Amino acid sequence: MRRALGSHDVEALAERAAIPALVALAAFLLFLVFYLPVATVFVEAARASALFGEVLTDEFYVGFLAHPGDALARFGGFLLALLTDPLNASFPDYRLGLFGFTAYQALLSAAASVALGVPMAYVLARFEFWGRDTVRSLTALPFVMPSIMVVVGFIAAFGEYGFVSGVFAWVGLNRLELVHTLKLVILAHAFYNAPLVARITAAAWEGIDARAVETARSLGANPYRAFRDVVVPQLLPSVLTGALLTFVFCFLSFAIVLELGGYEFATVEVWVYQSVNNFEYGLAATLAVIETVLSLGLMYAYLRYEAHQRASRAVHPPERAPLFGRPDAKRLAAWGVCLVAALVFVLPVFSMVYESLTVPVAGGDAFTLRNYAFLVDRQATGAAFQVKPLTAVKNSLLFGVGSLLLSVPIGVVLAVVSTREFAGRKVIDTLAMAPFAVSGIVVGLGLLRGLVFGTPVPAPTGIALGRATLPIVGSVPIPELLVTQVRVTVSGALAVVAAHAVGAYPFVTRNVAPMLATLDRSLVESARTLGASRARALVDVELPLVAAGVLAGAAFAFAISIGEFDSTVILTSGAGNYTMPVAIERFIGRRLGPATAMGCVLLVVTGASFVAIERLGGRFRG
Amino acid sequence: MADVRLRGVERRYEDAVALDGVDVTVADGEFFTLVGPSGCGKTTTLRTIAGLEEPTSGTVHVGGESMAGVPPEDRDVGIVFQNYALFPHMTVAENVAYGLRFRDPPEGKSEDERVRELLELVDMADYGDRMPEELSGGQQQRVALVRALAPGPRLLLLDEPMSALDARLRERLRRQVRTIQSELGVTTVYVTHDQEEALAVSDRVAVMNGGRVEQVGTPQEIYHRPETPFVAEFVGKNNRFEGEVIGREGDDALVEVDGTTFRVRAPEAAGRVAFYVRPEALSLGREGKNRTDGEGENRIAVTVETTEFLGDAARTYGSWNGREIVVKSEDVPAGERVVVAFGPEDATVV
Repeated sequence: MRRALGSHDVEALAERAAIPALVALAAFLLFLVFYLPVATVFVEAARASALFGEVLTDEFYVGFLAHPGDALARFGGFLLALLTDPLNASFPDYRLGLFGFTAYQALLSAAASVALGVPMAYVLARFEFWGRDTVRSLTALPFVMPSIMVVVGFIAAFGEYGFVSGVFAWVGLNRLELVHTLKLVILAHAFYNAPLVARITAAAWEGIDARAVETARSLGANPYRAFRDVVVPQLLPSVLTGALLTFVFCFLSFAIVLELGGYEFATVEVWVYQSVNNFEYGLAATLAVIETVLSLGLMYAYLRYEAHQRASRAVHPPERAPLFGRPDAKRLAAWGVCLVAALVFVLPVFSMVYESLTVPVAGGDAFTLRNYAFLVDRQATGAAFQVKPLTAVKNSLLFGVGSLLLSVPIGVVLAVVSTREFAGRKVIDTLAMAPFAVSGIVVGLGLLRGLVFGTPVPAPTGIALGRATLPIVGSVPIPELLVTQVRVTVSGALAVVAAHAVGAYPFVTRNVAPMLATLDRSLVESARTLGASRARALVDVELPLVAAGVLAGAAFAFAISIGEFDSTVILTSGAGNYTMPVAIERFIGRRLGPATAMGCVLLVVTGASFVAIERLGGRFRG
Repeated sequence: MADVRLRGVERRYEDAVALDGVDVTVADGEFFTLVGPSGCGKTTTLRTIAGLEEPTSGTVHVGGESMAGVPPEDRDVGIVFQNYALFPHMTVAENVAYGLRFRDPPEGKSEDERVRELLELVDMADYGDRMPEELSGGQQQRVALVRALAPGPRLLLLDEPMSALDARLRERLRRQVRTIQSELGVTTVYVTHDQEEALAVSDRVAVMNGGRVEQVGTPQEIYHRPETPFVAEFVGKNNRFEGEVIGREGDDALVEVDGTTFRVRAPEAAGRVAFYVRPEALSLGREGKNRTDGEGENRIAVTVETTEFLGDAARTYGSWNGREIVVKSEDVPAGERVVVAFGPEDATVV
């Protein structure tokens, strides 16, 4: 049965090597666009190691922890005062510092997200209404919603010349200015993360078996006790999961804090960005490393905690009550939740669209298209140093396609690897998901300092004929390898694509891997015994069957690239390859109109991507 | 075509042993069945032959060639799984043609000819353009069979291919499989947990238990001359007796079981033994109307507890000294006392 070695066999050999080669290539790309940049930041920080000591003892950064003895003494004094003179005892005034404030605002944001998200989960899980499935899908929207668009929406709604302020002025109240307040930062974070909390909590709520509650009732618990003893304990882990995730995201939040808070409410992330702008790369790297270590720790805690949660579908899910009907206490509460949610979520988006289409005139607003016309005019007449809107749109689309081309193969290969059983799989899984815990600013900084500024790499440049002196024989000619240090540099555009791909590929993996895992292994085995190599079986059988997941992942990659701001703003500062989010940021300070118009363009593009993902049954994290 | 030889094949996992030294030889063109309870290692043996599992130790030879390190795609085998594993995104014809992408159709036929010929073989000629999900279970099974046969493999492996089908369809399909197999003469290894099916279709059967082969033989040998208690009890119904050899008469041993002495054909038996008597070897004598004594010199009195009517026969269950006795007979009312008898040659000592 043995055949002579022919072209068929060579082909077969090539196919056999294909999967390991693809894995190696994906690993190499990942190393190049993610691990190398992050390592660059760590090396840069290590070079400026003296700064660690300075940062960790500077009250500006670490607050009262800079002088722990003093802080402890003051707390002791407070306790003493509490015992001796309780009426006049006042809690010592502790300064939080940059890191403390970052954690503090993340904590407040997490609390606000829970306060808003849990009631939303209640309505979603316990009430039936027309469009419930759509609302449920929309809770995933923040995953692809550009943060800078949220910023524009909030400025359009709550800024001095925003919609709400306009309404206030119209009814004769003072104009309202919430921009550059902590309140607005927290509210924007809640806008971003409450849907996530609602999503996770609603899933848990629907997983509670109605029979368990009925059993509690039959054993003598009143409805309140049954809720407290049966429902709450089963919800709590999910609420905590959502809160922890929100805390991590808000700890790393950049665009919202930068634009809505300003430098007065700067977080670590904003300060890293500021340091980069001041060319203080050592300080930027030092802060970035401390931040990354903290967020990796938090993410690890989150993953450990999440691993203990088991997802279950209830055998008898509780019946949903119709949302509209005779008003009773529960229904009134649900209506209240809907009203608040509508205000928080619809108002900013509505305001953005409204402001982009109106111009203030005496006694009200008039409809106009001049903000959109400005985008076109500026393209034609703008000076070289000015941001050209259509160029931004073109760059965004170009980078979107580029990061899609890069992240989809990496994501698919990682999905293939992560669904195989082998030693060390967990390590690969964790490393592959690490970008979730590293901020865009850090990746951007690493790419900027590493690949864009150039990394020296030893490279062979040729072979020369040298001579060596040997005993007895004497002088003989020998070849010598010539090596020089070559600076590897990539263009800013390529670096932007790389940074976007880093943010996008975990979503590809998360969409493809579960589908691959549920494929019957006997399908591949049938293909193998029929003569297909492992790589052929992947192409012929597995990939066609997970095509929907790959496409959903691709739509994700595109949407995330289009909306990415954090690393892009670092990599495109002062360069011509700005994207839509960067253009919006540059417009915000000067003109609200064009910023909102650009925001609407972004809304349409990401909205279309989102619909594509939904149609393809995409999976969102959480 | 080819023969298959497994020698000392072991498959160990971190915490379990799936195969504990399997020796099996399948002759060229033979229909060979691996039968045993779930977890006995029969499927692992099949997967090892296909190259889907690597043995921890031991050797696999197909057609005299060692299969060590040979990937499944180079082994020239066709496999049919329990769930058929048809590619859901390909039509029936594309499924059947898939293996022809890698190997040329036998006898210089074109790809289309080969696909048509095979679909005709299983009466599915009109279904080439259908998608797998449009087919019934039995139809899917037939497509899976001809897909495996399309490239003309030297070995056909069937992993419980009938177990998802209802009993009537199963019987019809297994006859069809057997007919096709004899026509093509392809060496076939069949895995099933159904001992009745194993006896019905096989040239030879290997009974497996706990990762080992208990006995290999023709269906007749397996049924009538079980070599281990496991085989005696797993294959068909059986009545088990356990006792002490207390004397001999020529080739017969006298075995005392619970105070009753039985005479069984066992030239070498000694000490404590177990012997088995098949339900159809027992003759049943009823008192009262058309009274007969059972035939045979070993007799016991049994009280009938239940009967099972099977259509072409009936089974009578009773007890003797707390042991269950099953006899193939006509209907006997429950509660009746009957005499059950058998000759020395009807007993098998293991």
